[in-house]
Amino acid sequence: MRKATVAAVIAALLFAFPLWWVGVSALRPTQDVFRYLSPLSVWTLLPLHPTLSNIVGLWSSPFARAIGNSVLVAGLTVVLGLATCSAAAFALAVIEFPGRSIVFAVLVVSFLIPFDAVAVPLFGILRSANLQNTYAGLVVPGIGNGLAVFLLRQFFLGLPRDLRDAALMDGAGWFSIYFRIYLPLSVPALISAAIILFVFQWQAYLWPLLIAPDPAYKVASVAIAEFASSYNVDYGLVFAGAIFISLVPMIVLVGFQNQFRTSVASSGGKE
Amino acid sequence: MRQHHDSLAAAVFLAPALVAVVVLRLWPACEALHASLLAPRAINFSLDNYRYIFTDRTFLNSLEVTLLYSVVVNPLQIALALMLALLLARELPLVGLWRTLILLPVAIPQSVSAVIWGVAFRPDGPLNAALALFGIGAQRFTTSPGQALASIIVVVSWIGIGYWMTFLIAGLQEIPPSLYEAAAMDGANRWQRLRHITIPQLRRPLTFVLVANTVANLLVFAPVQILTKGGPDGATDLIMNEIYTRAFVTGDTSSAAAASVVLVVVTLVVVAVQFRLMTPREQ
Amino acid sequence: MVQSSRLGARVSLIAFALLSAIGWAGSAGAVTLNFLAAERPEVFKPVIAAFEAANPGTTVAYTQVPFDSLNAQIQARVGSQDPGIDVYAADTPRIPAFASRGFLLDLSPYEAQIEATASRTAVGAISADGKLWAFPMWSSTQLLFFNLDLLAKAGVPPPSAAITTRLTWDAMLDDAVRAQKAGSRWGFTFEQVDRYYQLQPLFESANAGSGLSGPGLLTPDITGPAWIKTAAWYGALFASGLSPRGVSPEQTPDLFANGQVAFFVGGPWNFDKFDAAAKLHFGIAPVPYFTGGHPATPTGSWAIGVNPYAAHKDAAVRFAEFLSVDPEGNFLTVSANPLPPTNRAAYARYIARIAGLSHSIGPAARDIITYEMANTAVQRPRSVGYVAFEDVMNHIFSDIRNGADPSAALAAAQSQLTSTLARVR
Repeated sequence: MRKATVAAVIAALLFAFPLWWVGVSALRPTQDVFRYLSPLSVWTLLPLHPTLSNIVGLWSSPFARAIGNSVLVAGLTVVLGLATCSAAAFALAVIEFPGRSIVFAVLVVSFLIPFDAVAVPLFGILRSANLQNTYAGLVVPGIGNGLAVFLLRQFFLGLPRDLRDAALMDGAGWFSIYFRIYLPLSVPALISAAIILFVFQWQAYLWPLLIAPDPAYKVASVAIAEFASSYNVDYGLVFAGAIFISLVPMIVLVGFQNQFRTSVASSGGKE
Repeated sequence: MRQHHDSLAAAVFLAPALVAVVVLRLWPACEALHASLLAPRAINFSLDNYRYIFTDRTFLNSLEVTLLYSVVVNPLQIALALMLALLLARELPLVGLWRTLILLPVAIPQSVSAVIWGVAFRPDGPLNAALALFGIGAQRFTTSPGQALASIIVVVSWIGIGYWMTFLIAGLQEIPPSLYEAAAMDGANRWQRLRHITIPQLRRPLTFVLVANTVANLLVFAPVQILTKGGPDGATDLIMNEIYTRAFVTGDTSSAAAASVVLVVVTLVVVAVQFRLMTPREQ
Repeated sequence: MVQSSRLGARVSLIAFALLSAIGWAGSAGAVTLNFLAAERPEVFKPVIAAFEAANPGTTVAYTQVPFDSLNAQIQARVGSQDPGIDVYAADTPRIPAFASRGFLLDLSPYEAQIEATASRTAVGAISADGKLWAFPMWSSTQLLFFNLDLLAKAGVPPPSAAITTRLTWDAMLDDAVRAQKAGSRWGFTFEQVDRYYQLQPLFESANAGSGLSGPGLLTPDITGPAWIKTAAWYGALFASGLSPRGVSPEQTPDLFANGQVAFFVGGPWNFDKFDAAAKLHFGIAPVPYFTGGHPATPTGSWAIGVNPYAAHKDAAVRFAEFLSVDPEGNFLTVSANPLPPTNRAAYARYIARIAGLSHSIGPAARDIITYEMANTAVQRPRSVGYVAFEDVMNHIFSDIRNGADPSAALAAAQSQLTSTLARVR
């Protein structure tokens, strides 16, 4: 057990290490950001002249609004996306109907299509629906996520058939089987699907840039790119922004880790 | 009668997702397909764009690089993700924190991740300084055709391994402990339990991770654009970088569309093969 | 009852009509222009405020788009005939391509005003096919910066700022090598490494030409001996360890500001950063040239274009004009942004401000900037295929910097450009 804990801590620190550097750089004055790279010294990892000027500069820029937009868009995408994708996955895994594999194939093909390759025609379509510079324009492309459908379908297929058969014999309708039986059993898979939907939106850059460049609707990943002008990049601000952009998912994910553990506890222990 | 009712119910459940996918992915993809069949300034359909890219040295190079990259990165990332998942699926102290730290890189904007690693890989940067402590000479990382692709693999893995690990942890936690207890009673050791219980029980999550990771790796773009721009000497010119450059830099949208179609076809074939391999016969 | 409700209906109908008429009349003058550029909002705030004050009823909504994506945005949005952009910043070398693709409104009717207020180079930068396509706004130039302390340590006398004693590249590199031997981390670096903007003048100075020739400048011409020799010279800077590999253009100014490099060729926008660097003592001189060649410096920057599909074309042109032709307007665009403006009157005020920067380098900067922009500036080739050309060249420069053989790399680029530019024609 102890060996495992040490290994876990080392792995986690290795991954988090570059983020530590980003956090430290956010607290440095801009001219110091690249100063202590080599040779290595304690000042590579600690700020010699710590300052809050980047953080202050960040929050007095429209960045606060951008983070709010990102949170709103990601939140809406997760909620609407979970409903849409779990319903579709349910149909594809549990209800038997002709053409089921073809529909599944269509949905799978959809997530194989690189988003950047269809971004421009998609932009034309949404613009003609007047969804430019709206939250709907930002959220809607993230809702039908073929990957999330795939994941949820895999999970539903793994649940015992008897659940469905017994409920059908009792005269239950499909919706109540979905809502009352399958969903409650799927919490870990729903969390995984939520992570997929969330990461898709949180990482999105090209699409929000195209559909919602207006400052009122701008999302954080675009806002952070604007600390670079055509001849100068303010890395102190960029890194400060990066820290705050990472804080939101960090808080959410740590919260969800508890969900993972309670679902494990309910299924009675593990290795 | 039952079937008709079932089909109707299925249609209702599927409607939102299908509409979203058709309108927002398939229809624009068809527009891209349409564009790929029209050579610049032409009115009639032709395969000119395809002919052009398949005789273009840069495009053919990007196919090779993408193939090489995929063959290396997918097994590597899945093996590492699985190892980390096996380690972190247990109830270790503060395990939620460790899992989150490993997952966190995926939440950082890719532009920032690329800058961080760009700095780390600078020949006068901290990685070489650390290596110097161990007496290893300065490496060229992204400035050398030999090391650049490996450097990209490091960056993409740092970003993605935690993500895939999370799905595998969820899968591991669904395995009934009774299976392990029975195996322990039969005297099975750690490796045997892994081979005969854990991996087979993980088949569904592993299929998911394999397919999704392969697709994600075929679409890698941001680290290449920011760190190497496809160089040096085309050593990191992954196919999405080619598509983006043609579409948005050179402005040659028709050959970009053709390249996208090729990418989708390749991805389809790969995914179909993976499905066939991973799905047992009774399905 | 029916009567009163009918009366009520009539009254409310009239009231509604009146109210909407008032509302409509009130909004008939209210116009919001959408302006897209890559700069931070603070840069354009002063000029937008001045324009709105002089044009009540018109507001300008500024949207910043990250620099790397601006051209892609224009292509995607103006290319799909989006009326949601009225005015945008157009990079001058891209103007022939944008014009040929219909992304810019023909501004030839305003030729008189433009030619009256901007220099001939600036007007050339916004022309294509004999017509004018954008309002000139900013230009650029380059200077040689050097670290006085590092030079003193090596016993190297600091170069003079006088144009008449301009250094040759050989002489400057000798000094750089000496400085590096005496302890400087690096001897020399360009600011925008691997970028055609920065390196084109090297080839022009060596009499190798811009790399594009023929009708419409669509024939690549980069395999001649002068091109190969100069490219080899560039690669040798890094192979010898005089200049660093692997540092991106955004991070090179920090090398100089942190005292890690002795000589730095970069733009005047670095003055603020270098002045603010506490331990940095620097001087300036004109950019070096090749012996047997002629001095050449980069130039050109953003101009202001009007979207031909804009919702409010007239107001858009008025705003764009204000940013360029109006001396106060053009000067306000550089009040928070240290680039040389193209308007002659605005330039006079700008250069006076530069001269007042610091008594050690202010007057020298004023003289060098003015001289270079008038005499040694080389335009990037005015070609419809410029963007594709620049992209390939930047890749080749990067490969050469990382050690690729120049003649092989240039030959490969030549064949790639031949096929790519054929599609652009």
